Parts: sequence; C-alpha cells; structure tokens
Amino acid sequence: MLRLVLNRLLLGLVTVALASAIIFGAVEALPGDACVAVLQRDAVGQRLANCRHDLGLDRPALTRYLGWAAGAVQGDLGVSAGSGRPIAALLGERLRNTLLLAGLTLAVGVPLALLLGVLGGLRRDGALDIVLSTGGILAMTIPEFVSATVLIFVFSIWLGWVPGIVVAAPGAPLADFFPGIVLPVAVLTMVMTAHILRTIRSSVIEVMASDFVRMAVLKGVPYARIVWRHALPSALLPAINVIALTIAWLLGGVVVVEKVFNYPGLGRFMIDSITERDLPVVQALALLVASVYVGVNLAADLLTLLLDPRLRTHRAGG
Amino acid sequence: MLRSLGIFAAVSLAAFSVSGGAVAQPAGVFRQPHDLGYGQSSSMDPASKGKVFQVTEKVMSRLIRTGIDGKPAADLAMSWSSNAGATEWTLKLRPGVLFHDGRAFTAADVLYTLNRIADPKLDSPARSAVKTIKAVEAIDAMTVKITLHDSFADFPLVLTDYRLVMLPEGSGDTIARTGIGTGPFKVEKFDAQGTTVLVANTAYYEGAPKLARIEIIGIPDAQARFQALLGGQVDVLPGLDRQEIALVSRSGKHQVQQIPSGNWRGIVLRTDVKPYDDARVRKALRMVVDREAMRDLVVGKDGGLTGCDTPVGPADQYRWDGQCKQDIAGAKALLAAAGFPNGIDVELQVANIEPVWPTIAQVYQQQAAAAGIRVKIAQVPNDGYWNTVWMKKDAVLTRWAERPADAALNEIYRSTSPWDESHFTDATFDAMLDGARKELDFDKRRAMYQDAQKYLWDNSGTLVTFHVKLAVGLTARVKDMDAVENFSIRWHLVKVD
Repeated sequence: MLRLVLNRLLLGLVTVALASAIIFGAVEALPGDACVAVLQRDAVGQRLANCRHDLGLDRPALTRYLGWAAGAVQGDLGVSAGSGRPIAALLGERLRNTLLLAGLTLAVGVPLALLLGVLGGLRRDGALDIVLSTGGILAMTIPEFVSATVLIFVFSIWLGWVPGIVVAAPGAPLADFFPGIVLPVAVLTMVMTAHILRTIRSSVIEVMASDFVRMAVLKGVPYARIVWRHALPSALLPAINVIALTIAWLLGGVVVVEKVFNYPGLGRFMIDSITERDLPVVQALALLVASVYVGVNLAADLLTLLLDPRLRTHRAGG
Repeated sequence: MLRSLGIFAAVSLAAFSVSGGAVAQPAGVFRQPHDLGYGQSSSMDPASKGKVFQVTEKVMSRLIRTGIDGKPAADLAMSWSSNAGATEWTLKLRPGVLFHDGRAFTAADVLYTLNRIADPKLDSPARSAVKTIKAVEAIDAMTVKITLHDSFADFPLVLTDYRLVMLPEGSGDTIARTGIGTGPFKVEKFDAQGTTVLVANTAYYEGAPKLARIEIIGIPDAQARFQALLGGQVDVLPGLDRQEIALVSRSGKHQVQQIPSGNWRGIVLRTDVKPYDDARVRKALRMVVDREAMRDLVVGKDGGLTGCDTPVGPADQYRWDGQCKQDIAGAKALLAAAGFPNGIDVELQVANIEPVWPTIAQVYQQQAAAAGIRVKIAQVPNDGYWNTVWMKKDAVLTRWAERPADAALNEIYRSTSPWDESHFTDATFDAMLDGARKELDFDKRRAMYQDAQKYLWDNSGTLVTFHVKLAVGLTARVKDMDAVENFSIRWHLVKVD
C-alpha cells in the first residue's frame, strides 16, 4: 500500500515537471513576448530593448526555464512580468475565488446528482428516468458558452433577477461575489450534475440486477433496506472517480465559464497571462493545475481502495 | 400623530431644499467598463504605458482641451499666444484652481509635468507628443512660456493630447496610486482589476459635477462587456458593431450615439518593395475601390464616412475632400503603363484584431477583380500581428485612431517616423509638411495641408477605406452626455436618472 502511494507520487512529480516544460515551450513558440504584448505598437527600438532587459527576456530560453525551475523547487514562484508583484500572492487570490466557485458548485451539484442518479436508476425507464436521462444528455452536450449565454439572456437581461457578470476584483471580499456568482454556479452545476448522474444511474441499475441483491430479495429483505444497506454502497463506488475528475476540472480553472462571466479565478488568470505573455505566471499556473490533477486523482484512487475490499486484497495479494 | 407630522414636515422641507435650491447636489452613479488592456500594469500615471484613461480623463485636466467643435478650447490655460515665428508660446493659467489635495495649481506644476514627460529616464510613450518642445519656463506664477525647436503654428493642438494632463509638482512617484489632479472627479479607490470609485469634486472650476459617483469597472472580455451593458451593469460601452447596435436599439432600455470619428480602417502596401514601389501600381490598386459600396457592405450606410485615402478625419479643419469614384478603366491603364497589362497578383495578410478587416479584404478582392487584380487573402493569427506582419509583409490590413491632421500626416507617412507603415519615403511630401507647420496664416496653412493630402491620393501606398462612426451604447438613464469624440466629453455635465 505504501509502495503504491510512493510510486504514484513519483509518477505525479514526473507528470508535473513534464507539463511545466511543455507549457514553457508552447508559450515560447507563440509569436511575440511580454514586451510586445504590453507595448503593442510602441514595441520598437530602445524602448523594446529596455523592456526586454528589465524582464530578463534577452537571456536564452533554456537559462530562463532552468532559473525558474530552480526557484519553483524551493517554493519561490518569482514575480509577474506584467505587474512585478509576487506570483504567490496573485495566485492565492485567484485560487481562493476558484475554490469558492468550485465549492458552491460541488455543494449544490453532488447531492443533486446523487439523488437524481439513484432515483433514475431505481425507476429505470420510468417517466422520471427518461426526463433525467434526456436532460442529462442535453446538459452535457450543450457547450458551456451557449448555456451561459442563454442563462444570462433569460435571467439577467430579460428578467433582471441576477447580474449577468461578476464585477468583483480578484482580491475583493467574498461577499462581493454575490449575487453575481449565481449564474456561473448554475452553468457549472448543469454540466457536472449530468456527468455524475449518468454514471450513478447505470451503476445503480447494474447493482440492482446483481446476484447479491437478487439473493437479498429472495431472502425477503425489505426493499428500503436492500437499497440503503446493500445496493447503494456498492453502486456509489464508481462515482468517486467521476467526482474526483469533476473536482480537478473545477479547480483547474473553468476557463470558458470564468471568461464569459468575467469571474476572476484561475481560468481567467491563465487566459489573461497568456495574452500578456506573462510566462512566469503561466508556468506557475501550469504547475498548480497539474498538481491538482495528480493530487485529486491519487486521492480518489486511495479512497476507492479503502472502500472496496476486493481491490485492497487483490493488490495486497498481488 | 404629532411625531409623524414632524417627520412629514422634515421630509417635505428636505424635498423642497433639493428641488428649490439653486445648485443641485451631485447625484447618482455612472458605471463605465474598461478593457484592462494593460492587465496588472494598469496605473493612474497618465504618462505610463498602463494608464487607465477612463480614470485619468476624469480626475486630471489638460492645459488646452478639444472643444465640442473640435477646436482648441481653454482648460487650465485661459488663453495663449505666440511670437511671429510660432516658436515661442505664452500661456496664461487659470487662477484659483485647486488640486484634489488642496494645493493651488501654478506654473511650477506645468513645468514639472511637461519636463517629467520629456525625461528620457521615464521613457513615457507620451514623450513623442512633447518632442517639439525645447524649453518650458515660468514668467510668473500664472504665466508659462514654451519654446519650440521649430515653428509650429498648431502647437495648441499638441497640448490637447489626453496624456498631457497636469500633475502636482513632485508627485511623479506617487501619482500612479493617488491620481491627484484638478478634474471634476476625485479618486476614492483605485482598483483596475475590480471597481475604481471616483467621487464628485464639488470645487471643480467649471462647476460641480452632476454625478455623485463614477465607477470604472475592469472587464477584459469583449462579450462580457456587452452583456454587462445589456444587463444594465454598466451605463456606457463605445465601439458597438452592427449586430450589437441592432440588439441594443431593440431593448427599449438603451440609446445609441453615432459619433463621426477620425478612426480609420484600411489596407497598406509597402512602397519600398516590388511591384508597389511604382506609384502608378499603388494608385491603380486604390482606384479600383468603390468606396461607398465598400462602406455600405462593411459597416452599413450609417457606419462611416468615405474619403480619398486621406488619414485626416472628416471633422478636421484641414481635411481635403476630393473626388475618387471607382475607375476600373483608369486603373487598368495605369497598370498597363507600369508593365502589368495582364493584371497583377496581390497577397493580402488579414487578422481578426479588427472585426471588419476580413470583410474589407473580401470586398476589396471582389472590387479589384474587375481590373484584373487577383487578390489572395492570407489569414494570419492575431497574436503578434503588430510585431510580425504589420510593417513587415508587403500588403496588410491596418487601423489608426484619430489624431490631428498634422500628427496623422507626420506619424503615418513621414519618412523618419517609426510608424511610417508603408515605408513611404518622399522628400517632396516631407517638405510640404514642414512648410505647413511654419505657416501662421490659417487659410494658407489649410491649403498646404490639403495639398499634402492630395499628394497622398496620387502617390501613397495606403488605402483609407472609410473613417468609422463610433457607435456608443448608453443605458436610457444617462442624460446630457456630449455626443462627441471621447476626449472632448465634458464629464461634469453628465447626469443619470
């Protein structure tokens, strides 16, 4: 078990390092640099040379990458090329905002998905199940920017119930994000609920048709007890991985939704930093997002191991 | 009962004093988005790269402003005059003006501000605007003399530049955070990424503002800005396109201002490479355009004003209006004379930075085909366009913002300008500009600037398709906002319901 964890951690570190190198290379390959992005048409002659010198852009790419990597290993993410502020502080603000968005979405979406998924699975092919399945497919397939625009149009522009976009600064008190955060949470909830719901539904159907449930029925165990005691614990296991992936997706910065709603989280920070060619920030973000993915997936695998005796004994024996 | 009567009396008294008083208190909040174009380097220093002009234009004032009629008008300078050679300018400053921190505005502040911008160490983008200035001196506390390197009859227009706003002496290191000026609004809180709050400066020298508060909100995404306007989260959004104008006009909660501007969109050819180094080829490529049809197809009849390849805006006092109907036969003849009897191939580089560029390129392709000009459109990425395509490739799309005639002609076409985008090198043209600058007689000067524009029509490599009308979307609650170019708006007059 410990060996497994160490193995996975090591693999995770390699993944993170590779991701940062690939991102660095990709941003380097884009035309223009931080100075050209900031100066635009003024990017000529001495002013351009001064700017490049100030930001250290006149050094070779490899030197810059290694210098950055050495700092990052020691916990120093450097300063933003755009503002000169420490990246850790900038990142902290956005991470908090993304956590708020992800937390609210999960708090609404996960219970909703569990409830609806179980109901749909137990009432297979009933009216409710058909409505849920169709709705789920719709919510999954409509791109977020479309559902976002439709929600803004209906609830903000027609009805005027909630603001269409968030106008809070990255470092604003959390209270400033309400009520603007309602629509982005609604859009994200739609997408993630659909994903989790469909997994749980099929897993409930599978478990309810399995031998041990049939056995319980034959023994005369009451229906409610079969569902709660025997079926659900097994049926929910596959959902753990889907939920983990959803968490990683939410924490990695939901770029499109944050952009459309002007939400100052990690996703918009990523886009803005790429536009500004703020390489140190892009690097730090890539590092963070890769770490989140690796960490959440690892946690999900461990949780599955803990909850499923079959997997645990299989690993120990093998 | 007695008590409620008392309250009633107090309320009606208060209502009476508001409606009956001679001076209404500033009231209401006006919200304006900005695009956070400089991200985290956004600043309130008007001389910096990251200046948020939506803030600086309301908290600081220029010596001379552009009036509603487009001519120079008094601001912090009450009057100005020059010597016979137009090399020395004397400005009388407005007395009794206070900065937001209570200090009095004097000649020392003018000296400080102009010298700061001219300082090479500051490396301000506004430095090019003051390069004509040789020295600034204070005659007395309220009089300033500015000496120029060369004669410049239109020097007052230089001082209307929106970056040349007056700062308190010695405030250079703090101005980016404090934003202290003499304008109609004061900074309460600066937060470029979030909401910047400005409050009324009731001591403003042209009268107390009508608005109590202005909020400037950073919204980087263009679509989010438009949604904010539709949903009433902001009150103004300039630069609406045709579809957006239609949506806003139908909403019933908005109004649209159509403002003629000096901003233009066009196609630029490098005049230093074959075959565009031949003036006949260049003229032929411009003669094939049906300018009205181009304008109607790209931005609609009300979306712009056409001209004959002059960069000078339709409202400018020096604008030349010539005749330039589409002339296919003439273009063919010119091409044949230049050695291309069978037409010519043009590869046009187009990005989407300006949403109308692709349409301009397609319309041009169709119109030019009639004269045997085969236009190939090459789509290139927006990223790095100004750095790797513009001024580098032979035929590209371009755009320019409004500037006075002298600045437009000098910056875009003069052989020594760093922005001579067509690589136009013509001693005759440069000499025409020099002559106009020195001429003190207005009519003669106008004739000279117009001759220079006519010269461009015959020789330049730049197709100026049209000058756009700027569509400004406003919520219906906004009143008394001047329907003029942005830097001429008198912000202290704007009201909201």
